[in-house]
Amino acid sequence: MVNTLSKKSQVEIVATPVIIDFKDFTFQFPEDESPVFRNISFSIQAGERVALYGPSGCGKSTLLYLMNRLYPDNCDGDLEGSITLWQRDAACFAPGEINHRVATVFQDPDTQFCMPTVEQEMAFTLENLHVTRPEMEHRITETLEMTGLTQFRKTTIQTLSGGMKQRVATACAILMQPEVLLLDEPLAHLDPLTAKHYVEWLDTLKWSYPLTIVAVEHQLDLWGTFFDRAIHVRASGDLPIELNPTKPCITFPKRVSAIQPEVALEAKNVHVHVKGKQLLKDVSFQLQRGEIAVLAGPNGSGKSSLLKTICGILKKSDGTIKSGTMLPGYVPQSPEQLFVTQRVKDEIRFSNNTKEEEITDIMTRLRLNEIEQAHPFSVSHGQKRRVAIGTMLSDKRPVLLLDEPTSGQDEAALKELFHLINARAKEGFAILIVTHDMTFAAAIADTIFLMNHGQLTGRFDNDVMWLQEKLLEKHQLVAPIGVCLHD
Amino acid sequence: MTSRTWLHDMNPSLKFIIVLVSMLTLAWFFNPWTPLLFFLGVILLQLLFSRVNWKVWSLFMIPIAFTAIGYLWTTLLFAADTSGHVIWTWGKFEVTNTQWNTALSLSFRVFAFSSMSLLFALTTDPVKFVMSLMQQLRLSPKLAYGVMVGYQFLPVVKDEFILIRHAHRLRGVGEEKHVWQRLLGMRRLLIPLLAGAVRRAERSAFAMEARGFTGERRSAYYEPISINARDWLLATIIMVLLIGSGVAGFLLH
Amino acid sequence: MLKSWKLKEVVLMSVFAVVFAVVYLLFVQVGNIWAGVIGPIAYEWIFGIWFIVSIICAYIIRKPGAALLSETMAAMIEVMIGNAVGPRLILTGLVQGLGAEAAFAATGYKRYDWWVLCLAGVGSAVFSFAYGFLVSGYAALDPSLLVLMFTLRVISGAVIAGLGGKYLSDGLLATGALRGYSISRDTGKNHKIKGEVIG
Repeated sequence: MVNTLSKKSQVEIVATPVIIDFKDFTFQFPEDESPVFRNISFSIQAGERVALYGPSGCGKSTLLYLMNRLYPDNCDGDLEGSITLWQRDAACFAPGEINHRVATVFQDPDTQFCMPTVEQEMAFTLENLHVTRPEMEHRITETLEMTGLTQFRKTTIQTLSGGMKQRVATACAILMQPEVLLLDEPLAHLDPLTAKHYVEWLDTLKWSYPLTIVAVEHQLDLWGTFFDRAIHVRASGDLPIELNPTKPCITFPKRVSAIQPEVALEAKNVHVHVKGKQLLKDVSFQLQRGEIAVLAGPNGSGKSSLLKTICGILKKSDGTIKSGTMLPGYVPQSPEQLFVTQRVKDEIRFSNNTKEEEITDIMTRLRLNEIEQAHPFSVSHGQKRRVAIGTMLSDKRPVLLLDEPTSGQDEAALKELFHLINARAKEGFAILIVTHDMTFAAAIADTIFLMNHGQLTGRFDNDVMWLQEKLLEKHQLVAPIGVCLHD
Repeated sequence: MTSRTWLHDMNPSLKFIIVLVSMLTLAWFFNPWTPLLFFLGVILLQLLFSRVNWKVWSLFMIPIAFTAIGYLWTTLLFAADTSGHVIWTWGKFEVTNTQWNTALSLSFRVFAFSSMSLLFALTTDPVKFVMSLMQQLRLSPKLAYGVMVGYQFLPVVKDEFILIRHAHRLRGVGEEKHVWQRLLGMRRLLIPLLAGAVRRAERSAFAMEARGFTGERRSAYYEPISINARDWLLATIIMVLLIGSGVAGFLLH
Repeated sequence: MLKSWKLKEVVLMSVFAVVFAVVYLLFVQVGNIWAGVIGPIAYEWIFGIWFIVSIICAYIIRKPGAALLSETMAAMIEVMIGNAVGPRLILTGLVQGLGAEAAFAATGYKRYDWWVLCLAGVGSAVFSFAYGFLVSGYAALDPSLLVLMFTLRVISGAVIAGLGGKYLSDGLLATGALRGYSISRDTGKNHKIKGEVIG
């Protein structure tokens, strides 16, 4: 019987057996002083689609790793209470045994493969399960057909986009014919449009048997009506459950534009060629002090190249860029790439031309005092970004360029980012942000630049842009929810 | 000509062993003829049985030539055995025929070794090599697939290296002049790279285990690699060349 | 030997091997050109670079075999990248790794102080020199030159591989990235590593 699962009646779900059961469960990492979870309980039934929902750092991935038995062995964690899988104590399963019934798709598209091509990766999976050679051939062909990936059979995985890599990872999981499919934030590294396509793709797959899907997720809004239940992950007690969850997208506070009349950055007819390849073609634009602009466009359209050119990392072949006495500052997607010292305070102090009072002032404004002695690599992602911005401020750079700061961030982190950027604009900095997240862009930006094939294809005031449906589609962007396209 | 694919199709493990045996054997010869003849023989083999891109081959050989020259004059200056008759003098400095022969031998050895290495490198698919080590030489799957994950990481290392260099340029580091400063400066580059590598290692290992990989031996391979009659023929040809150049060197010396 | 190894430890060695394989190959290029000018002695003072991965991995993972396996894996990756030194690098890696491994084995895999790491660097240097004596024809060279080469290599092994390896590993430990590996647990008692659980 073909079973699409999502629209099953409540009565049927209740009648199915519990296959994953956490009871009074406590878990602690050996390096930590207190447990991640204390006496939590929840259960999952066969055939359900469940989301484990909670902010970053709440330990929801840890729960997933306990279900597929990566933990506790891999981290030597201490546990109390019980985990029962298919009415058996989880500890009774031999290494690898559970992985024949529970398959997992992880969040990072780039670290899930050990073989070069799609076919070889699938063969690796089946060899692990001791499947015979003819059966391998059969199962690979069948799964590729089911997932619509047949044309990629011989493709080198590294040449695929992030979204396609996640589909391949999912196909490898399906190939194992598991009873449970675990998804560990599979959308975290995808841009919103790609993420939406992935969810649609996953939803339309036709299963020949009832499959349980458990996903860890912080952004339920992208999933639509995919899940039957959402379990709110908390540090202790019975975890609360929500039926048929849908999550409205994040609402940001209203902000008042802080634009000042003086020009902070002006680029005129900028061209960039690297090794015979044209990265940027005749780019001209200007930013005023206090202006927040978003730069959007498809992957590979030259957004990062533009940022790197403005701040002088990439050499321009032609054109002029003016930004007063200092070059603009740049914060990469991984802010730690900027770090060159071993203490947060040294990091801010690294540029020699800043006085001690100014450093103290920057530390206070960016709330860095509490971590001033910490190693810049060991603080949280949000703190790393604040340190990175701090280094740019202490260099007295008048413009801040942020590359993909929204990628993989949960609601709390996005709101913090909003306030962080807003506060800098009020201080008079011009800010240019590359992002795919149009909800965030709509909330923060004064101006939106579109980019395609190395050229700026438009400059819009924030409110006007979202009405241009065709234009958004051409630049592979999703209009923010809440903006009416047909007024 | 179909024989031009033979070396490319040869079983990688067998090729690997043959290369090692040749090198370890050549190490015992100190006459100039043996390594020279072997070097020329290997080039002939590649002409007959492979489609080597000779431009690439030359690019690899140029730095090797430097090493060979270095060996030549170091051995001339610092030879242990200075017997034999003097064939050349320059001021106080004398070169005997024994010295000259040993020096030539060591330089030609560098060429012989490199030609054999290039024969391997330019005709062997790295992935097939590791898979063959696992299938023929019983390399543990844990190590074999561990190496495969690392190999997938290689292009990422290069990209990250560039990204970090770019970011550091913005902070005004990375342009140190002194060798010592540069060596110490490598720490700044390496630590972010290694920190990224640690994260990646854990994620990759988890992904493999979640797919049921336990490191135990496999019962069936999707792409089995075997050793066939032609592989043995090629191995024999190289062995004959090796013994031939050994004997010839002994006779000519 | 591999039974007691976690897969993530094996993969850690492998990805470190990749990072250092790239570094090694860069240095081979540098070394080759210098070797033309000043002969084989050009390699000697930077020789320690080639031992560093075994010392870093042994220091972090602290299991028998870490030094040997990581150095061999680095050599395998170098061969996979493709270079003119070729398959015999695997043999070289094996020998160098054994040298470092010997030092850790001699201390019963219990001590990872700076002097043990230096000893491991010296171990690699001694083993690799013996191997070079056979394969690269050092036997044909004047003993006084050999003594100089040997001394340089031993110093380089102790300083670059031993101290350099410790310097790099400690720097990495301070970033908090090594949570969950033996080095954090053994030293974690003294100074608690600051860090957060992501996920």
